Amino acid sequence: MTFLRLITLVLMVLFLPASPCPWAGPDDPRAAERLAMVRDQIRGAGISDSRVLEAMAEVPRHLFVPAEYRHRSYAPRPLPIGEGQTISQPYIVAFMTEILRLKPSDRVLEVGTGSGYQAAVASKVAGEVYTVEIFESLAERSRGALAELGYRNVFVRQGDGYYGWEENAPFDAIIVTCAGGHVPPPLLRQLKNGGRMVMPVGGPFLTQNLVFIEKGPDGAISQRNVLPVAFVRLLGH
Amino acid sequence: MAPSRSAMSSPSPSSVSLATEAPFRGSVLPAVFLLSAAALANEIFLIRLLSFRFWPHFVPLIVSQAMLGFGAAGVALHLLRDRIDKAPRPAFAWLILLAAPSFDLAFRASRHVAFDPFLLLWDPAAWPAFGLFFLLLAVPFFLAGGAIAVPFAFRFGRPGPVYAACFAGSAAGAVIALAAFPLVPTDALLRFPLGLGLAAGAFLLKEPGAGPRWARRAVWGVSLLLLLLPPAELSPSPYKDLAIARRLPEGRVLATRFGPSGDYRAVYAPGIHSAPGLSFRFTGDVPPQAALFHDGEARGVVPSGGGKDPPAYLGYFPSAMAYRMVSRPAVLQFGLRGTEGILAAAGNGAASVTVVEPAAELVVLVRDDLAGFSGGWPASLKTEILAEGARNFLARERRRFDLIEVAEISSANFSSLGIHATGETFLLSREGIRSALSLLTERGLIAFSGWLKSPPRESVKILATIRKELERGGGLASDRVVMARGWGSFVVLARRASFTEEEYLRARRFCEEMGFSMVWPRPAGSASEGAEEKALRDAVENALTGFSGDRGSGLFDLSPVTDDSPYFHRFLKLRSLPEFRRLLGNQWVPFVEWGMVFLLLSLAVSLALAAVCLLFPLAFARLRETAGGAAFAAYFSSLGLAYMLVELTYLKIGILILGDPIRAATAAIGGFAFFSGLGSAFSARWESAQTMRRWICPAIAILAPAGFLFLSLSAEALLPKGGALRTVSFLASLAPAGFLMGVPFPAALSRLFRAAPSSIPFAWGINGFFSVAGASLASVGALWIGFRGTVAAGGALYLLAGALFPRVGKPGDP
Repeated sequence: MTFLRLITLVLMVLFLPASPCPWAGPDDPRAAERLAMVRDQIRGAGISDSRVLEAMAEVPRHLFVPAEYRHRSYAPRPLPIGEGQTISQPYIVAFMTEILRLKPSDRVLEVGTGSGYQAAVASKVAGEVYTVEIFESLAERSRGALAELGYRNVFVRQGDGYYGWEENAPFDAIIVTCAGGHVPPPLLRQLKNGGRMVMPVGGPFLTQNLVFIEKGPDGAISQRNVLPVAFVRLLGH
Repeated sequence: MAPSRSAMSSPSPSSVSLATEAPFRGSVLPAVFLLSAAALANEIFLIRLLSFRFWPHFVPLIVSQAMLGFGAAGVALHLLRDRIDKAPRPAFAWLILLAAPSFDLAFRASRHVAFDPFLLLWDPAAWPAFGLFFLLLAVPFFLAGGAIAVPFAFRFGRPGPVYAACFAGSAAGAVIALAAFPLVPTDALLRFPLGLGLAAGAFLLKEPGAGPRWARRAVWGVSLLLLLLPPAELSPSPYKDLAIARRLPEGRVLATRFGPSGDYRAVYAPGIHSAPGLSFRFTGDVPPQAALFHDGEARGVVPSGGGKDPPAYLGYFPSAMAYRMVSRPAVLQFGLRGTEGILAAAGNGAASVTVVEPAAELVVLVRDDLAGFSGGWPASLKTEILAEGARNFLARERRRFDLIEVAEISSANFSSLGIHATGETFLLSREGIRSALSLLTERGLIAFSGWLKSPPRESVKILATIRKELERGGGLASDRVVMARGWGSFVVLARRASFTEEEYLRARRFCEEMGFSMVWPRPAGSASEGAEEKALRDAVENALTGFSGDRGSGLFDLSPVTDDSPYFHRFLKLRSLPEFRRLLGNQWVPFVEWGMVFLLLSLAVSLALAAVCLLFPLAFARLRETAGGAAFAAYFSSLGLAYMLVELTYLKIGILILGDPIRAATAAIGGFAFFSGLGSAFSARWESAQTMRRWICPAIAILAPAGFLFLSLSAEALLPKGGALRTVSFLASLAPAGFLMGVPFPAALSRLFRAAPSSIPFAWGINGFFSVAGASLASVGALWIGFRGTVAAGGALYLLAGALFPRVGKPGDP
């Protein structure tokens, strides 16, 4: 199945100019841009998980971006979404989703909902996504956008993501989409044994490392730095 | 004064006005005095305000703006001289009346320009905004420069007293600026130039022959209203740490302090959880914290109640390793990072801690204002906080310490953007490290900690610096260094004596406990290390055991820095630029040093604007006589460039001598303004070609580097002295050169006035253009050829100017 999907995607990407996107629908004016993004920025940059590629090609990124920046939705860069926060560049969203090796049964915690785009992409490859956003305005906006687009397996809460979402713990995977100076101990506690976590650690915008953390079956933590990357900071950390 | 500034006070009178213009009744001198003070104070305050809004190191930009404004005023006056000649008094009065509100309005208006330095590389639309921002802040200098120049260009009586008022005003402006910093909040600083401008304008309200009085009074009244309005809100860039903290729900400011060292604020919000580099073995809770900000940049945290009970998490950082190597140490820490450093020392069993922090404002804020929140200092620890510069302390201190901590040499906060690439760091130069090592006990340790970058930079550069200093006395540095890393941070321990096997074992045990890893000595059998870990270990091994003095074949310059070019955070190698260009758009973001990028971009933008404002208007000027052709152009461009190279390099060494950038900027800009103004007043005595060529210019070429060399060579002797003596020494060293540097521009203008008056606007324009360029080029020079090289280049340009002087104003080249 995975192989077939991959072949389908590759064929579509290869024949992009001649062939319309089957899942974008005739009324999606940005489908071509999105496919080009997947081809050039995601697949071309080394992302190979077919489910992630499919999710990236399906989720209408432009609908998570403020209207004034919508024309740049599929450009390879982060964009402002208000409250000094940004929506990460497409490659980073795909990279973080892929590295977590999400399964359809996984329960995922996302810290830093922001626009809701990362949650939407993760929801395509995981079972449930619980996402926490500290800013009320962003939490409301992303909740509305996700509901409007029919993402029923994404649950948004306004609060301090540093403390995770205790009531729904433990999680199979945790995605922290905003950088911090350390890994919050509450998040480590809420990560299931055998779970994976990815988080940018370091400064607010640049020269950060994306840290991949695994919790072994015995609860032992191991980590490795996987990519220097730029993110909005996990506020106050 | 800078060339265009000294040029404002240069004699280039119109032929008509020389003897016919009656002076105002006693209003010119006080008005010129007050406006000169306002302009200089405005220049210094803008340095602080832009530090707060964006980042430090805006000095070249501010000086460029001032030069642009002054230069454009000179060009405008000369282009409009026929019109102004008919009514110079109204011109004088209105320029002063308009200059006053411009100090406030220009800054208010600039806040509405959608400019942020970070967008310059991302978004081409940011460039026009930058241009507009730059021009807006140049407007007050244009108006003030024009006003001050009118009495000289259209002589209102004897020029001598006007000169005196001008340069005395500049000196007063510097003094007022320094005095004002602790008196008013940062956002109210521009009240002072506005107030001084208003006071200057008040002298012109009743003067006859300066246009309708009601109109003057109306404008003055509106300016007065501005003074009564609340000052413009000072908002930091949304990318700065303070802006981020302010956005946190339930965030509130606990305390604020301000002064010459900066603007310091403590903010509390439930969402603040700062523990950079915390081990993931820590499973407890981080207590509530207040975060501290210096000009909007994070400067550590104060854990709630930590003074009564040091929080456990403080023992879970790589920097805690130092405390495993020494028992009950007497600790010296550089920089007050909230209370964390002190609490960590207490929690790790230190006997005493001495903290050296140059900002007295921060000391008061942490010690007094936040005492209730922090719970004071731990009773078990003898705590001493000294408000003085790190190098000053190192130069005077005789005690020895078991542990010297230099934390956050690379940080996880806003500064990780590379904004300090163009900032001077005298503590991390070879001389600074040497001084620190000299205060260690026999087996004492020096510890450096910070954030790792990938590829590694600060972590390796500090090792290269330590190696140089440790190996000065012979032996290898490699057995006197230990380095460990957490998942994003590192600690380097070094000492003059070798580490023992037992100490290495302790270091390894610490790493195992905390989940950190040893970097040096390189662990055996580290085959499982990832690519990033291997790259760090390779770089560290090369720094400690490779060819010493190797500037590295990698992308970055990781060689040690010295006091002559103390840019520890500059890693850019010019020959790496093609490689960076290749990576652009792919993985360039982590490599960018924004301070460097901004310096170069601001140079480009300021030159474009200077071309438009200073050179383009010359297309409408008629050159009726030949003025010396290429020699004429070369002379005025050399002066513009040379003055800036000399003045700004003195400013940079002033940061070492005087302890902080604002004091250095005040002393250097004010000092050169004062002494060059004085020199301008005497210029008429020395304007013969022979005197200029044989004496004045060669004397500048000798005195400028000589004064600088004096400062640089006597730094170690000066640093332990009191602030007053250091300031006097600094001013005395620049005075001879500064005085003579006021001579060449007015001497040449005077010559042109006689031989080729129509060329004077060209002289202004060319000089102004190269003054604008020189402000940024002085920083570029300091970064790549060092202070001494830059001052020497300035001296060489004065020699060139001296050789060219006889041809200025002479018919020759077309």
